[in-house]
Amino acid sequence: MRKTAPPNRKKKVMTTIREQTQCRFCRDKKKYIDYKDIDVLQKLLTNRGKIFSRKRSGNCAGCQRKVNQAIKRARFMSLLPFTV
Amino acid sequence: MDSDRKKTKVLFVTGGTSLETKRVYEALFLVDSGLAAAQWDHVMELIQKILDRAQSRVISIRKWDERKLAYPVQGKGRGTYILAYFECVSSIIRQIERDVQLSEEILRVLVIRTDRMNPADMDKPTPAMLGRSDSDAEKSGGSEPAVEEVPLPNIAIEDV
Repeated sequence: MRKTAPPNRKKKVMTTIREQTQCRFCRDKKKYIDYKDIDVLQKLLTNRGKIFSRKRSGNCAGCQRKVNQAIKRARFMSLLPFTV
Repeated sequence: MDSDRKKTKVLFVTGGTSLETKRVYEALFLVDSGLAAAQWDHVMELIQKILDRAQSRVISIRKWDERKLAYPVQGKGRGTYILAYFECVSSIIRQIERDVQLSEEILRVLVIRTDRMNPADMDKPTPAMLGRSDSDAEKSGGSEPAVEEVPLPNIAIEDV
């Protein structure tokens, strides 16, 4: 005889965690990333002063390019270090 | 025939109006902190002169911040940044950069175009305006004796 499942067995509640679909700059609708915003750029650097990858920072390709440019400008003006 | 083609190509690249169009630029000048503190007027006059030589129309010029540099520039550990917005012909930017390189007072300059900026980005209050000391300044400030009013005990010197 085939076993049947108990009738009042609770179904698994599937909670869907919605991931962030946009990068931090796209969410704020920022078109320009200022190289003088050191606090923002500092979050995208390792403690040795290297730029985080897109995978690590979660930036979109366009924003990552803007971030790269901003960090390099800040480094030139001695606002951020090249290496620590 | 080939040489003619090359000539026309060169003319096409340089002969356009792109070099003569006036644009608004942002320049950040880096000056030694000691010099800026001692001779602020002289430094501002120097920057003004460089911008005047470039036949530019200065929109605004103000102190951006005074902070510890991330790495020493020309042996200087601290620097004062001066932010300027001006309108000029694009071909003259190289002259501004050259003038700064020849100047002994100004350590560095970065000139960028502002056409991708919002007006809000340009009018953003500077850290110097906000009076916010940067983390480096706080660190260096920590080494200096903190000026705090500690209540002195009321003991006369003769008593001790």
